[in-house]
Amino acid sequence: MKNFDLIKLPFSKNNPILVQVLGVCSCLAVTAQLKPAVVMALSVTVVVVLANLIISLLRNTIPPRIRIIVQLVVVSTLVVLVDQVLKAYVYDVSKQLSVFVGLIITNCIVMGRLEAFAMVQKPWPSVLDGLGNGLGYSVILIVLGFVRELFGSGTLWGYPVAEKLGLYSIGYENNGLMIMPPMALILVGLIIWWHRSRNKDLCE
Amino acid sequence: MKKNFSNTYIFIYSAVLVVVAALILTVVSVSLKPLQTKNQQAEQKQMILKTIGVEATRDNAAELYAKYITEADGYYRFDGGIVLPLKGTGLWGPIWGYLALDNTSTVVGAVFDHKGETPGLGGEIATDKFAQRFIGKKMDTQAIHLAKNADRDNPYEVDAISGGTMTSNGVTAMLAKAYDDYSKMRKEATE
Repeated sequence: MKNFDLIKLPFSKNNPILVQVLGVCSCLAVTAQLKPAVVMALSVTVVVVLANLIISLLRNTIPPRIRIIVQLVVVSTLVVLVDQVLKAYVYDVSKQLSVFVGLIITNCIVMGRLEAFAMVQKPWPSVLDGLGNGLGYSVILIVLGFVRELFGSGTLWGYPVAEKLGLYSIGYENNGLMIMPPMALILVGLIIWWHRSRNKDLCE
Repeated sequence: MKKNFSNTYIFIYSAVLVVVAALILTVVSVSLKPLQTKNQQAEQKQMILKTIGVEATRDNAAELYAKYITEADGYYRFDGGIVLPLKGTGLWGPIWGYLALDNTSTVVGAVFDHKGETPGLGGEIATDKFAQRFIGKKMDTQAIHLAKNADRDNPYEVDAISGGTMTSNGVTAMLAKAYDDYSKMRKEATE
Protein backbone atom coordinates (compact mmCIF):
# COMPACT_ATOMS: atom_id res chain seq x y z
CA MET A 1 0.00 0.00 0.00
CA LYS A 2 1.33 3.41 -0.91
CA ASN A 3 1.89 5.89 1.86
CA PHE A 4 -0.61 8.34 0.41
CA ASP A 5 -3.31 5.68 0.51
CA LEU A 6 -2.78 5.37 4.26
CA ILE A 7 -4.13 8.87 4.67
CA LYS A 8 -6.65 8.83 1.81
CA LEU A 9 -8.47 5.55 2.47
CA PRO A 10 -9.63 6.26 6.04
CA PHE A 11 -11.19 9.44 4.71
CA SER A 12 -13.70 7.63 2.59
CA LYS A 13 -13.46 3.97 1.55
CA ASN A 14 -12.24 2.84 4.96
CA ASN A 15 -13.59 5.59 7.19
CA PRO A 16 -13.51 4.50 10.84
CA ILE A 17 -17.03 5.77 11.55
CA LEU A 18 -18.80 5.28 8.21
CA VAL A 19 -17.35 1.93 7.21
CA GLN A 20 -15.83 0.31 10.28
CA VAL A 21 -18.50 1.89 12.52
CA LEU A 22 -16.00 2.40 15.35
CA GLY A 23 -15.87 5.30 17.79
CA VAL A 24 -19.60 5.96 17.47
CA CYS A 25 -20.21 6.51 21.19
CA SER A 26 -18.11 9.65 21.46
CA CYS A 27 -19.28 10.76 18.04
CA LEU A 28 -22.88 10.90 19.27
CA ALA A 29 -22.06 12.36 22.65
CA VAL A 30 -19.86 15.35 21.94
CA THR A 31 -21.26 16.73 18.69
CA ALA A 32 -24.14 18.86 20.00
CA GLN A 33 -21.88 21.87 19.41
CA LEU A 34 -19.05 22.54 17.03
CA LYS A 35 -16.37 23.54 19.52
CA PRO A 36 -16.30 20.38 21.68
CA ALA A 37 -16.54 18.33 18.49
CA VAL A 38 -13.42 19.98 17.09
CA VAL A 39 -11.51 19.63 20.36
CA MET A 40 -12.52 15.98 20.65
CA ALA A 41 -11.51 15.38 17.02
CA LEU A 42 -8.10 16.96 17.60
CA SER A 43 -7.58 15.04 20.85
CA VAL A 44 -8.39 11.68 19.29
CA THR A 45 -6.16 12.45 16.28
CA VAL A 46 -3.24 13.39 18.52
CA VAL A 47 -3.71 10.28 20.65
CA VAL A 48 -4.02 7.86 17.74
CA VAL A 49 -1.00 9.31 15.90
CA LEU A 50 1.26 9.24 18.97
CA ALA A 51 0.02 5.84 20.12
CA ASN A 52 0.63 4.40 16.66
CA LEU A 53 4.13 5.89 16.63
CA ILE A 54 5.08 4.63 20.08
CA ILE A 55 3.66 1.14 19.60
CA SER A 56 5.31 0.87 16.20
CA LEU A 57 8.68 1.82 17.68
CA LEU A 58 8.26 -0.72 20.46
CA ARG A 59 6.65 -3.41 18.28
CA ASN A 60 9.64 -5.77 18.22
CA THR A 61 10.17 -5.57 21.96
CA ILE A 62 6.55 -6.12 23.00
CA PRO A 63 5.89 -9.68 24.19
CA PRO A 64 2.75 -10.81 22.32
CA ARG A 65 1.24 -12.23 25.47
CA ILE A 66 0.96 -8.82 27.13
CA ARG A 67 0.59 -6.68 24.02
CA ILE A 68 -2.96 -5.49 24.80
CA ILE A 69 -1.84 -4.38 28.26
CA VAL A 70 1.14 -2.56 26.80
CA GLN A 71 -1.14 -0.82 24.29
CA LEU A 72 -3.53 0.15 27.06
CA VAL A 73 -0.75 1.63 29.18
CA VAL A 74 0.52 3.69 26.26
CA VAL A 75 -2.96 4.89 25.28
CA SER A 76 -3.99 5.70 28.86
CA THR A 77 -0.81 7.68 29.44
CA LEU A 78 -1.42 9.73 26.31
CA VAL A 79 -5.07 10.32 27.16
CA VAL A 80 -4.29 11.48 30.68
CA LEU A 81 -1.71 13.85 29.19
CA VAL A 82 -4.28 15.27 26.77
CA ASP A 83 -6.79 15.64 29.61
CA GLN A 84 -4.28 17.54 31.76
CA VAL A 85 -3.35 19.85 28.91
CA LEU A 86 -7.02 20.60 28.15
CA LYS A 87 -7.69 21.36 31.81
CA ALA A 88 -4.80 23.79 31.86
CA TYR A 89 -5.39 25.59 28.56
CA VAL A 90 -9.04 25.18 27.48
CA TYR A 91 -10.82 24.70 30.79
CA ASP A 92 -14.39 25.32 29.56
CA VAL A 93 -14.12 22.81 26.78
CA SER A 94 -12.55 20.26 29.09
CA LYS A 95 -15.52 20.65 31.45
CA GLN A 96 -17.93 20.14 28.58
CA LEU A 97 -16.13 17.06 27.33
CA SER A 98 -15.81 15.81 30.93
CA VAL A 99 -15.80 12.02 30.89
CA PHE A 100 -15.45 11.70 27.14
CA VAL A 101 -11.77 12.63 27.13
CA GLY A 102 -11.10 9.77 29.50
CA LEU A 103 -13.17 7.54 27.26
CA ILE A 104 -10.74 8.08 24.36
CA ILE A 105 -8.90 5.21 26.05
CA THR A 106 -11.74 2.90 25.12
CA ASN A 107 -12.27 4.44 21.67
CA CYS A 108 -12.15 1.41 19.42
CA ILE A 109 -10.42 3.37 16.68
CA VAL A 110 -7.29 3.79 18.80
CA MET A 111 -6.96 0.18 19.92
CA GLY A 112 -8.06 -1.02 16.50
CA ARG A 113 -5.28 0.84 14.70
CA LEU A 114 -2.66 -0.31 17.21
CA GLU A 115 -3.64 -3.96 16.93
CA ALA A 116 -4.26 -4.00 13.18
CA PHE A 117 -1.53 -1.69 11.98
CA ALA A 118 1.11 -0.35 14.35
CA MET A 119 2.00 -3.75 15.80
CA VAL A 120 3.28 -4.93 12.42
CA GLN A 121 4.29 -1.78 10.52
CA LYS A 122 7.23 0.62 10.53
CA PRO A 123 6.91 3.92 12.42
CA TRP A 124 6.40 6.30 9.48
CA PRO A 125 3.53 4.40 7.82
CA SER A 126 2.03 3.99 11.31
CA VAL A 127 2.05 7.73 11.87
CA LEU A 128 0.35 8.26 8.51
CA ASP A 129 -2.19 5.57 9.27
CA GLY A 130 -2.95 7.20 12.61
CA LEU A 131 -3.25 10.59 10.98
CA GLY A 132 -5.56 9.26 8.28
CA ASN A 133 -7.86 7.54 10.74
CA GLY A 134 -7.82 10.48 13.14
CA LEU A 135 -8.76 12.84 10.33
CA GLY A 136 -11.38 10.45 8.98
CA TYR A 137 -12.98 10.47 12.44
CA SER A 138 -12.57 14.24 12.71
CA VAL A 139 -14.36 14.95 9.43
CA ILE A 140 -17.51 13.16 10.57
CA LEU A 141 -17.41 14.79 14.01
CA ILE A 142 -17.05 18.26 12.57
CA VAL A 143 -19.84 17.74 10.02
CA LEU A 144 -22.14 16.49 12.80
CA GLY A 145 -21.15 19.31 15.15
CA PHE A 146 -21.77 21.87 12.40
CA VAL A 147 -25.22 20.57 11.46
CA ARG A 148 -26.38 19.94 15.03
CA GLU A 149 -25.26 23.28 16.43
CA LEU A 150 -26.63 25.22 13.45
CA PHE A 151 -30.09 23.66 13.48
CA GLY A 152 -30.28 22.74 17.16
CA SER A 153 -29.10 25.98 18.76
CA GLY A 154 -29.04 28.41 15.83
CA THR A 155 -25.37 29.18 16.51
CA LEU A 156 -21.99 28.26 15.06
CA TRP A 157 -18.97 28.17 17.37
CA GLY A 158 -21.17 30.15 19.77
CA TYR A 159 -21.92 32.87 17.19
CA PRO A 160 -25.70 33.44 16.95
CA VAL A 161 -26.19 32.89 13.21
CA ALA A 162 -29.97 32.49 13.20
CA GLU A 163 -30.48 35.55 15.39
CA LYS A 164 -28.22 37.73 13.23
CA LEU A 165 -30.09 36.64 10.10
CA GLY A 166 -33.34 37.68 11.80
CA LEU A 167 -34.88 34.22 11.43
CA TYR A 168 -36.55 34.18 14.85
CA SER A 169 -38.57 37.28 14.08
CA ILE A 170 -40.16 35.57 11.08
CA GLY A 171 -41.20 32.54 13.11
CA TYR A 172 -38.14 30.26 12.86
CA GLU A 173 -37.64 27.81 15.72
CA ASN A 174 -34.60 25.76 16.71
CA ASN A 175 -35.00 22.03 16.31
CA GLY A 176 -34.71 20.64 19.85
CA LEU A 177 -34.24 17.10 18.57
CA MET A 178 -30.94 18.13 16.96
CA ILE A 179 -29.19 18.54 20.29
CA MET A 180 -30.28 15.11 21.53
CA PRO A 181 -27.90 12.16 20.92
CA PRO A 182 -30.51 10.12 18.98
CA MET A 183 -30.49 12.77 16.25
CA ALA A 184 -26.73 12.32 15.90
CA LEU A 185 -27.32 8.63 15.31
CA ILE A 186 -29.93 9.43 12.65
CA LEU A 187 -27.52 11.88 10.99
CA VAL A 188 -24.70 9.31 11.01
CA GLY A 189 -27.14 6.86 9.45
CA LEU A 190 -28.01 9.35 6.72
CA ILE A 191 -24.34 10.03 6.02
CA ILE A 192 -23.62 6.28 5.82
CA TRP A 193 -26.58 5.90 3.43
CA TRP A 194 -25.30 8.68 1.19
CA HIS A 195 -21.74 7.30 1.41
CA ARG A 196 -22.77 3.78 0.41
CA SER A 197 -24.91 4.99 -2.46
CA ARG A 198 -21.79 6.72 -3.80
CA ASN A 199 -19.54 3.68 -3.19
CA LYS A 200 -21.44 0.64 -4.39
CA ASP A 201 -18.49 -1.65 -3.75
CA LEU A 202 -18.96 -1.15 0.02
CA CYS A 203 -22.43 -2.67 0.00
CA GLU A 204 -22.60 -6.26 1.16
CA MET B 1 6.00 -12.57 16.37
CA LYS B 2 8.71 -15.17 15.87
CA LYS B 3 10.60 -14.24 19.02
CA ASN B 4 10.07 -16.14 22.23
CA PHE B 5 9.92 -13.97 25.30
CA SER B 6 10.81 -15.39 28.69
CA ASN B 7 8.70 -14.74 31.75
CA THR B 8 11.50 -12.72 33.31
CA TYR B 9 11.60 -10.49 30.24
CA ILE B 10 7.83 -9.96 30.42
CA PHE B 11 7.98 -9.01 34.10
CA ILE B 12 10.83 -6.58 33.64
CA TYR B 13 9.32 -5.15 30.49
CA SER B 14 5.98 -4.39 32.11
CA ALA B 15 7.60 -2.98 35.25
CA VAL B 16 9.80 -0.61 33.27
CA LEU B 17 6.91 0.45 31.04
CA VAL B 18 4.68 1.30 33.98
CA VAL B 19 7.40 3.20 35.82
CA VAL B 20 8.23 5.27 32.75
CA ALA B 21 4.55 6.08 32.19
CA ALA B 22 4.14 7.06 35.85
CA LEU B 23 7.20 9.32 35.69
CA ILE B 24 5.95 11.15 32.62
CA LEU B 25 2.50 11.66 34.13
CA THR B 26 3.92 12.92 37.41
CA VAL B 27 6.11 15.50 35.72
CA VAL B 28 3.27 16.78 33.53
CA SER B 29 0.75 16.82 36.35
CA VAL B 30 3.04 18.78 38.66
CA SER B 31 4.05 21.27 36.00
CA LEU B 32 0.47 22.00 34.85
CA LYS B 33 -0.99 22.16 38.35
CA PRO B 34 -0.63 25.94 38.83
CA LEU B 35 -2.50 26.71 35.60
CA GLN B 36 -5.28 24.29 36.46
CA THR B 37 -5.68 25.64 39.98
CA LYS B 38 -5.88 29.14 38.59
CA ASN B 39 -8.68 28.08 36.23
CA GLN B 40 -10.59 26.43 39.07
CA GLN B 41 -10.27 29.45 41.34
CA ALA B 42 -11.38 31.80 38.59
CA GLU B 43 -14.37 29.56 37.96
CA GLN B 44 -15.32 29.63 41.63
CA LYS B 45 -15.16 33.43 41.62
CA GLN B 46 -17.27 33.50 38.45
CA MET B 47 -19.91 31.37 40.16
CA ILE B 48 -20.04 33.55 43.26
CA LEU B 49 -20.29 36.71 41.16
CA LYS B 50 -23.08 35.15 39.13
CA THR B 51 -25.26 34.69 42.23
CA ILE B 52 -25.18 38.44 42.86
CA GLY B 53 -25.96 39.17 39.23
CA VAL B 54 -22.48 40.07 38.00
CA GLU B 55 -21.50 38.29 34.78
CA ALA B 56 -17.74 37.80 34.72
CA THR B 57 -15.43 36.16 32.23
CA ARG B 58 -12.56 34.09 33.50
CA ASP B 59 -10.12 36.88 32.75
CA ASN B 60 -11.83 39.63 34.72
CA ALA B 61 -13.29 37.39 37.46
CA ALA B 62 -10.50 38.07 39.95
CA GLU B 63 -10.75 41.82 39.45
CA LEU B 64 -14.57 41.98 39.76
CA TYR B 65 -14.46 39.61 42.70
CA ALA B 66 -12.09 41.90 44.58
CA LYS B 67 -14.44 44.78 43.85
CA TYR B 68 -17.75 43.22 44.96
CA ILE B 69 -16.98 40.45 47.44
CA THR B 70 -15.29 40.35 50.83
CA GLU B 71 -14.59 37.00 52.43
CA ALA B 72 -15.32 36.45 56.12
CA ASP B 73 -15.49 33.24 58.21
CA GLY B 74 -16.13 31.02 55.19
CA TYR B 75 -18.90 33.29 53.88
CA TYR B 76 -18.80 35.78 51.04
CA ARG B 77 -20.27 39.18 51.80
CA PHE B 78 -21.49 41.61 49.19
CA ASP B 79 -23.18 44.96 49.43
CA GLY B 80 -26.66 44.10 50.73
CA GLY B 81 -26.23 40.50 51.71
CA ILE B 82 -24.26 37.32 52.00
CA VAL B 83 -23.38 34.36 49.77
CA LEU B 84 -23.57 30.90 51.36
CA PRO B 85 -21.31 28.18 50.02
CA LEU B 86 -23.07 24.83 49.50
CA LYS B 87 -21.26 21.49 49.44
CA GLY B 88 -22.72 18.02 49.21
CA THR B 89 -22.91 14.77 47.32
CA GLY B 90 -25.19 13.83 44.47
CA LEU B 91 -25.63 10.42 42.96
CA TRP B 92 -22.20 9.94 41.38
CA GLY B 93 -19.97 12.47 43.06
CA PRO B 94 -19.66 15.89 44.64
CA ILE B 95 -22.16 18.67 43.95
CA TRP B 96 -21.74 22.25 45.06
CA GLY B 97 -23.18 25.69 44.66
CA TYR B 98 -23.60 29.19 46.02
CA LEU B 99 -26.71 30.91 47.33
CA ALA B 100 -26.89 34.69 47.58
CA LEU B 101 -29.22 36.02 50.30
CA ASP B 102 -30.25 39.62 50.93
CA ASN B 103 -30.60 41.06 54.43
CA THR B 104 -34.00 39.42 54.93
CA SER B 105 -32.52 36.01 54.02
CA THR B 106 -34.38 35.97 50.72
CA VAL B 107 -32.57 34.30 47.85
CA VAL B 108 -31.47 36.78 45.21
CA GLY B 109 -29.37 34.40 43.17
CA ALA B 110 -28.22 30.80 43.06
CA VAL B 111 -25.83 28.69 41.07
CA PHE B 112 -25.11 24.97 41.19
CA ASP B 113 -22.57 22.69 39.64
CA HIS B 114 -21.59 19.05 39.78
CA LYS B 115 -18.72 16.74 39.02
CA GLY B 116 -20.42 13.87 37.27
CA GLU B 117 -24.20 13.78 37.61
CA THR B 118 -26.08 12.20 34.71
CA PRO B 119 -26.43 14.71 31.87
CA GLY B 120 -30.06 15.60 31.26
CA LEU B 121 -31.20 14.25 34.64
CA GLY B 122 -29.28 15.17 37.80
CA GLY B 123 -26.92 17.21 35.66
CA GLU B 124 -29.76 19.70 35.14
CA ILE B 125 -28.92 21.33 38.49
CA ALA B 126 -26.13 23.16 36.69
CA THR B 127 -28.60 24.95 34.38
CA ASP B 128 -29.82 28.50 34.86
CA LYS B 129 -33.38 27.23 34.59
CA PHE B 130 -32.97 25.23 37.78
CA ALA B 131 -31.08 27.96 39.62
CA GLN B 132 -33.80 30.53 38.81
CA ARG B 133 -36.37 28.48 40.74
CA PHE B 134 -34.63 29.53 43.97
CA ILE B 135 -35.00 33.25 43.48
CA GLY B 136 -37.44 34.74 45.98
CA LYS B 137 -37.33 31.69 48.27
CA LYS B 138 -36.32 32.15 51.91
CA MET B 139 -33.68 30.76 54.25
CA ASP B 140 -34.82 32.65 57.40
CA THR B 141 -36.61 30.25 59.75
CA GLN B 142 -36.05 26.99 57.93
CA ALA B 143 -34.07 25.61 55.04
CA ILE B 144 -35.29 25.43 51.46
CA HIS B 145 -35.94 21.89 50.32
CA LEU B 146 -36.72 20.29 46.96
CA ALA B 147 -40.03 18.52 46.50
CA LYS B 148 -42.05 16.85 43.78
CA ASN B 149 -44.84 19.09 42.46
CA ALA B 150 -43.61 21.84 44.75
CA ASP B 151 -45.97 24.62 45.77
CA ARG B 152 -44.76 27.72 43.97
CA ASP B 153 -46.06 30.03 46.69
CA ASN B 154 -44.30 28.16 49.49
CA PRO B 155 -41.10 30.13 50.15
CA TYR B 156 -39.28 27.03 51.44
CA GLU B 157 -40.09 24.67 48.60
CA VAL B 158 -38.48 24.33 45.17
CA ASP B 159 -39.51 21.95 42.41
CA ALA B 160 -37.17 18.94 42.25
CA ILE B 161 -35.73 17.48 39.06
CA SER B 162 -37.71 14.69 37.46
CA GLY B 163 -35.47 11.67 36.98
CA GLY B 164 -32.90 13.18 39.30
CA THR B 165 -34.21 12.18 42.71
CA MET B 166 -30.84 11.25 44.21
CA THR B 167 -29.27 14.47 43.05
CA SER B 168 -32.29 16.45 44.28
CA ASN B 169 -31.97 14.80 47.70
CA GLY B 170 -28.31 15.79 47.70
CA VAL B 171 -29.27 19.40 46.99
CA THR B 172 -31.82 19.35 49.83
CA ALA B 173 -29.20 17.92 52.21
CA MET B 174 -26.61 20.54 51.37
CA LEU B 175 -29.19 23.33 51.73
CA ALA B 176 -30.11 21.98 55.19
CA LYS B 177 -26.45 21.88 56.17
CA ALA B 178 -25.88 25.41 54.90
CA TYR B 179 -28.98 26.61 56.78
CA ASP B 180 -27.72 25.13 60.06
CA ASP B 181 -24.36 26.85 59.74
CA TYR B 182 -25.96 30.07 58.63
CA SER B 183 -28.48 30.24 61.49
CA LYS B 184 -25.74 29.41 64.00
CA MET B 185 -23.65 32.21 62.57
CA ARG B 186 -26.59 34.67 62.77
CA LYS B 187 -27.32 33.68 66.36
CA GLU B 188 -23.72 34.28 67.38
CA ALA B 189 -23.77 37.62 65.62
CA THR B 190 -26.83 38.84 67.56
CA GLU B 191 -25.58 37.66 70.93
